Amino acid sequence: MTTDTTSDDPLAALDGTARATLAAIADHLIPAAHGMPSAADIVTDGRLRFVLGARPDLAEGLVAALRPGLGVDVASRLATLQRDEPANLGALQLAIVAGYYTDKRVRELIGYPGQEAIEVKSWLLPEYIEEGLIDKVLERGAVWRDPATGDRAVVEGLPQTYAERFAGMPDDSQGGHDGPDGA
Amino acid sequence: MATDPADVLIVGAGASGAVVAKRLAEAGFSVVCLEQGEWHAKEDYPGTRLDWELQARKAWATSPNIRELPQDYPVVADDSPVEPLMFNAVGGSTIIFAGAWPRALPSDFRVRSLDGIADDWPLTYHELLPYFYRTDRDFGVSGLPGDPAYPPDSEDAPLPPLPIGAAGMKVARAHTRLGWHWWPEFNSILSAPYDGRRPCVQRSTCQSGCNEGAKASTDQTHWPKAMALGTRLVTGARVRRIETNEAGLATGATWIDREGGEHFEPARVVVLAGNAIGTPRLLLLSASSRFPDGLANSSGLVGKRLMMHPFANVAGLFEDPLLSWQGQFGDLIESLEFYETDEKRGFVRGARWGLAPTGGPINTALPSRAGEQIWGPDHHLHVKTHLGHGANWGLFAEDLPDEANHITLSKTVTDSSGVPAPEVHYSMADNARRMLDFHIERATESLQEAGAYKIEVDRLMRYSGWHLLGTTRMGDDPATSVLDRWNRAHDVPNLYVVDGSCFVTSTGVNPTSTIVAIALRATDHMIESRFNQQVPA
Ligand SMILES: Cc1cc2nc3c(=O)[nH]c(=O)nc-3n(C[C@H](O)[C@H](O)[C@H](O)COP(=O)(O)OP(=O)(O)OC[C@H]3O[C@@H](n4cnc5c(N)ncnc54)[C@H](O)[C@@H]3O)c2cc1C
Ligand code: SF4
Repeated sequence: MTTDTTSDDPLAALDGTARATLAAIADHLIPAAHGMPSAADIVTDGRLRFVLGARPDLAEGLVAALRPGLGVDVASRLATLQRDEPANLGALQLAIVAGYYTDKRVRELIGYPGQEAIEVKSWLLPEYIEEGLIDKVLERGAVWRDPATGDRAVVEGLPQTYAERFAGMPDDSQGGHDGPDGA
Repeated sequence: MATDPADVLIVGAGASGAVVAKRLAEAGFSVVCLEQGEWHAKEDYPGTRLDWELQARKAWATSPNIRELPQDYPVVADDSPVEPLMFNAVGGSTIIFAGAWPRALPSDFRVRSLDGIADDWPLTYHELLPYFYRTDRDFGVSGLPGDPAYPPDSEDAPLPPLPIGAAGMKVARAHTRLGWHWWPEFNSILSAPYDGRRPCVQRSTCQSGCNEGAKASTDQTHWPKAMALGTRLVTGARVRRIETNEAGLATGATWIDREGGEHFEPARVVVLAGNAIGTPRLLLLSASSRFPDGLANSSGLVGKRLMMHPFANVAGLFEDPLLSWQGQFGDLIESLEFYETDEKRGFVRGARWGLAPTGGPINTALPSRAGEQIWGPDHHLHVKTHLGHGANWGLFAEDLPDEANHITLSKTVTDSSGVPAPEVHYSMADNARRMLDFHIERATESLQEAGAYKIEVDRLMRYSGWHLLGTTRMGDDPATSVLDRWNRAHDVPNLYVVDGSCFVTSTGVNPTSTIVAIALRATDHMIESRFNQQVPA
């Protein structure tokens, strides 16, 4: 991890005391437990720089939440922030949580690979149809209320099964659902 | 800027404005659209990046009051338990909408006749049906045909349904055991390549823009086509008033550019598509000596009867991993089992349920919207048990119209152009409160039957004003409505409102599919009656 702080560095706003306070709070909120590391060990300069680089607007609230005037006791600092300065508390919690959960090791430990691209296989028959779940819904008949009668609609000849509903429909299940202008 | 008046000037390039522009351009009209926001490239959306959840809480937040971008306008909501949400850009709120695409139901258009409350609409479900089919094709809708919660269709959704995920399967099986309705959700999200667009990859970041272009936002689906046909779309153009002449006809719009310069755009016909907050705001801003209470407001109803669908979230936690951070954020499945009125329940009308994915780790780790905070050693257990282990029923309760729910112009707050911001005055009715309580209980039973070992309820979420409706209602009587049945202002014969402001009642479903079908219907009528249209000399 680099500790270099240039004037463009988002960490420049946080001095050594503020960093130490942040570490203490991080450890209080997310301590090492249940096989997971402490946020104090994870939210180091690199992660914090990432968070403040992405969200420079958090810096002001973070600096305010870490100011020495709020005392040394972490729990009473958090209680004061919760009562009097919820926005500053929000910035502090978000900086710690975001620093922690954007860390590669933490993501591995919680089994979260990030939001992934997963192919949609729309040409396969969905499991719920194979399992007959759609047939059960169709069997129960219309659900909508008919304005003409005010009662649940009675529709004669509604298909009772998925197979019946789709009998005679062209088989376009091989992909290629390109629209009017082509894909 | 332009000196020759356009045939039609549209204010707002969101869902409804785009539908009108494309249709009019196809019919050979000259069209100009003024939009205060900008274009966004798919690559700009944060969904593929490590900082996605950080950006979703600021630059890509759903509330303009959090984003605070220059193209946004603040919405003062101190007098409302619900914050109106929207996006201001080419594509409007469809840029960040979830893509759930249910239609309003037949009973929704007959609330007064059926339930003795509120009002009937001046149109019916079956009148709208052909427009639903056309807009489904234009937006690219995926869904399984045959849902028995609706009358039988003569045309199927153009694309097969999206996956319903492990959570959807659990709940579908539970509803089969309970004998309750469920159906794979209709979404305006592509399940296969269509119309030059790529299919969904289930990344679940739909509410911060779709990096694939799989979700229908009108910057993808409509504007390129409208512009290829000659429509002129001016961005960074904030309309501050609609001008009128001595005959009481609209003559065009005065607008402010990014640098503060003022312009006038003349037109023969003006169409407002700024959503149910932006449109009444503009009508109130357009007051004049002839229209002292705001334009088109002889009924006094401009800005009144705001409806936002009171919303509750019922989350079930499951032992099994469900990978529930993935999947389209439009819904996986829906239930309309308790949608229609049953007076034994102690309220009228009902709510639609949509089962949605549950979000990433930062969202899971931070205090919930209900204020629950888990810190200390148990924080890790909280994240492990919640992340990817949840199924969320979102409950959209029908909001009945009430004139006390209204918007006014702020005397103190303005947007970045110095134009007064709208102020929202809103409270939830007892009927909706009882409705939410009932539906929360039923949704809890649903998730318990599906195997959830714990249920967490978020009642009336504050940041849930996604659906903005009702503030210039349509109707046949000019004394009790702002617009006629073709979306034309009773008071100003060449002024139309095509967004969700026109809704008479809110329905209990996500509204965009219905908004755009109504907008298309109004446009077809505008085209058919073009030779009878009164225009300024
Ligand atoms: C987070 C989120 C999720 C949603 N999910 C769903 C969903 O799953 N399903 C569903 O059906 N609906 C959903 N919605 C609602 C849906 O987005 C809206 O119903 C739809 O976009 C409304 O279309 P519209 O044309 O009325 O207005 P919008 O799409 O909001 O567009 C209005 C446009 O007008 C412009 N404008 C306003 N005033 C001015 C002015 N004075 N000058 C210039 N330009 C102006 C705005 O900048 C904006 O671009 C969601 C909304 C949000 C915010
Ligand atoms: S889940 Fe699908 S629609 Fe949503 S953002 Fe991802 S690709 Fe787009």
